[in-house]
Amino acid sequence: MNSPLFRIIAPKAKKNRDDEELKRLRLELKRSIGSVFGRSMAIREVDTGSDGSPEIELVNLTNPYYDIEQYGITFVASPRHADVLMVTGPVTCNMVTPLCKVYEATPSPKWVIALGDDACGIGIFKDSYAVIGSVDKVIPVDVKIPGNPPIPIDIIKGLLELIEKIGKEGY
Amino acid sequence: MSYKDQLKQLFPSITYDEETDLEEYVFINPKEIVEISKSLKSLHFNLILEFGVENFKNHKGITLIYVFEKADYRKLLIMQSKINNNAESIAQIYPTAMLYEREMQDGFGIEFNHSFDTRKLFLHEYYPEGFHPLKKAFTNAHLKLKGKVSPSEEYVFKKINGEGIYEISVGPIHAGIIASGHFRFNVIGETILNLEIRHFWKHRGIEKCAENKTPEEGTVFAESIGGDETIANTLAYCTAIEKISGIKVSKRAEHLRLLCAEMERIYSLLGDIAGMIVDVAYPVGASQFFNLREEILRWNERLTGSRFCKGMLIIGGVSKDVNSKTLDELGDYLNYFYSQFTNSFLKILENASVLDRFETTGIIKESLVKPLNLTGPLARASGVNKDERICHPYTKIYEQIMNPNKILNEGDVLSRFRIKANTIKNSANIILMIIKNMPKGEMSVNYDIKDGCSCSIVESSRGQNIMFINIKNKKIDRFKVRTASFCNWYAIEHAVMGNIVPDFPLINKSLNLSYEGNDL
Repeated sequence: MNSPLFRIIAPKAKKNRDDEELKRLRLELKRSIGSVFGRSMAIREVDTGSDGSPEIELVNLTNPYYDIEQYGITFVASPRHADVLMVTGPVTCNMVTPLCKVYEATPSPKWVIALGDDACGIGIFKDSYAVIGSVDKVIPVDVKIPGNPPIPIDIIKGLLELIEKIGKEGY
Repeated sequence: MSYKDQLKQLFPSITYDEETDLEEYVFINPKEIVEISKSLKSLHFNLILEFGVENFKNHKGITLIYVFEKADYRKLLIMQSKINNNAESIAQIYPTAMLYEREMQDGFGIEFNHSFDTRKLFLHEYYPEGFHPLKKAFTNAHLKLKGKVSPSEEYVFKKINGEGIYEISVGPIHAGIIASGHFRFNVIGETILNLEIRHFWKHRGIEKCAENKTPEEGTVFAESIGGDETIANTLAYCTAIEKISGIKVSKRAEHLRLLCAEMERIYSLLGDIAGMIVDVAYPVGASQFFNLREEILRWNERLTGSRFCKGMLIIGGVSKDVNSKTLDELGDYLNYFYSQFTNSFLKILENASVLDRFETTGIIKESLVKPLNLTGPLARASGVNKDERICHPYTKIYEQIMNPNKILNEGDVLSRFRIKANTIKNSANIILMIIKNMPKGEMSVNYDIKDGCSCSIVESSRGQNIMFINIKNKKIDRFKVRTASFCNWYAIEHAVMGNIVPDFPLINKSLNLSYEGNDL
């Protein structure tokens, strides 16, 4: 199995049933970011108590399989550079103040996406003493992407929903 | 003579409690804990967990439970000490006890005498005074937080004064797609003089949330401890419940569980390896590993219906069977994976600029491994063969099919890189053996939940995860978990000393510890 020949004829990873859809979504992404966001959309990710899997999926969006950076989406290091905040987690009591500060630090116009069941207020921690319950109880939310965690395709769909909304309503 | 008999000779007040094939419970006199800890230390026992349970085994107050392990001794020695609101600190003997004691101080309001650090741990400044969530008197509900925090209530970091020394404070929200944590550096020139970490920003109150739930409902809380340790934690949880209720899982379910556990180890460590290469600015090299990780995640989805294997493990077995055709295909894929991985890995090691950054960076000395209870690949890269799959085997399968682990002594980023790669290859081989030996059998068995308590240990991708479950009236009465990251995080404070600030992200990634698994 380790022969060089095997490496050539070996099946690459199984074709994913979503691959065709992914192709369509990526073209859509390129078109809409080009028209609404002037070719570049900067996202700052904020973790307010997720279980870590939404972050893994966001990192996966930049891997060669999805590679959304080539369509104009960048994950930036500071809220000062961001158009969109992507918030995961049910907002723990310890993270309320940092989240508010990040929101204030983001220049307008700005939008917020709540990513994952916890952030949308339907997760298992919503009644815990240690959390507020959902992102929209702390800062205004524009789009919700539920899922535990949402798969990469769903995240792309959520981004398109936001761009479409901004395209319709304006800044 | 067993160790508990040796202890009994030294301390006649010790009384024996129940015993299983992996645990020995004894009751001790709370006043003697310091002396007992000293004796245990001289017998080379190490403290791996300390926590409190209220209203446990007919004691109305709080029972402190100390869990000790010894390298060549399979059983855990579990000390139970009935106290009220006051106990002696053993942090002078076992340094990690300081964290457990601060945790209990927040959770139950227990005061520890002679403790050298009494700062709050998981309840930050905005929580109301005198609030102790783990007490049974508190029913889980939303809180009214403080509106304002005065400067005197703020968390105190270690101050280092001197000419040219400056502070860098990072986080809780810091660069990258990453969880929240705070790092306070003291730097002179470019060299890090001291680092202090402050965590628990993501504290969600899992332990309290799981209380009064049925064991079946508790599974999702075990899954949610950490996304990339889903199987490891759920496995620990199910094993504990199954031990309490005497449930025997079928051989097939056991094999499928370990298959998922090893798949999880592979994708989790692939992320670490890719991340380390990204952090030395070599994204082309990293993308190979990102690709492999995506493929493993897709396989997870095919095998279990979830990219993170969520919902796969249930009490009594697994929720989904995998047919033999899929297993064969997985075997073919893993052979391809193995050769791809080995090729990419060797290419990385040929690159001088990568080696230059990896070598001699972020050294963790072997002498730190035991006092800080460091476990997993991190310990194996510092010369200690610590792997719970061998030290505390939770299944008989591993000893039959597992190749010996590689051990390196340097303790730097390069050795962690190589140990993690070796662990991935080892896991791929384990899965191939599991596929080969897959027996026939039931997916899950019927069972009755019984009352009782149990402690279980599992090797996650980051090291030793330990869980204690107490079932009372068929409901979860206490759900205590400590992931490997809780202890391993403090290795970073030692690893970065004397390194330059730009190497911190690399050292952090080489350890890749879990924020959520630590904060709970």
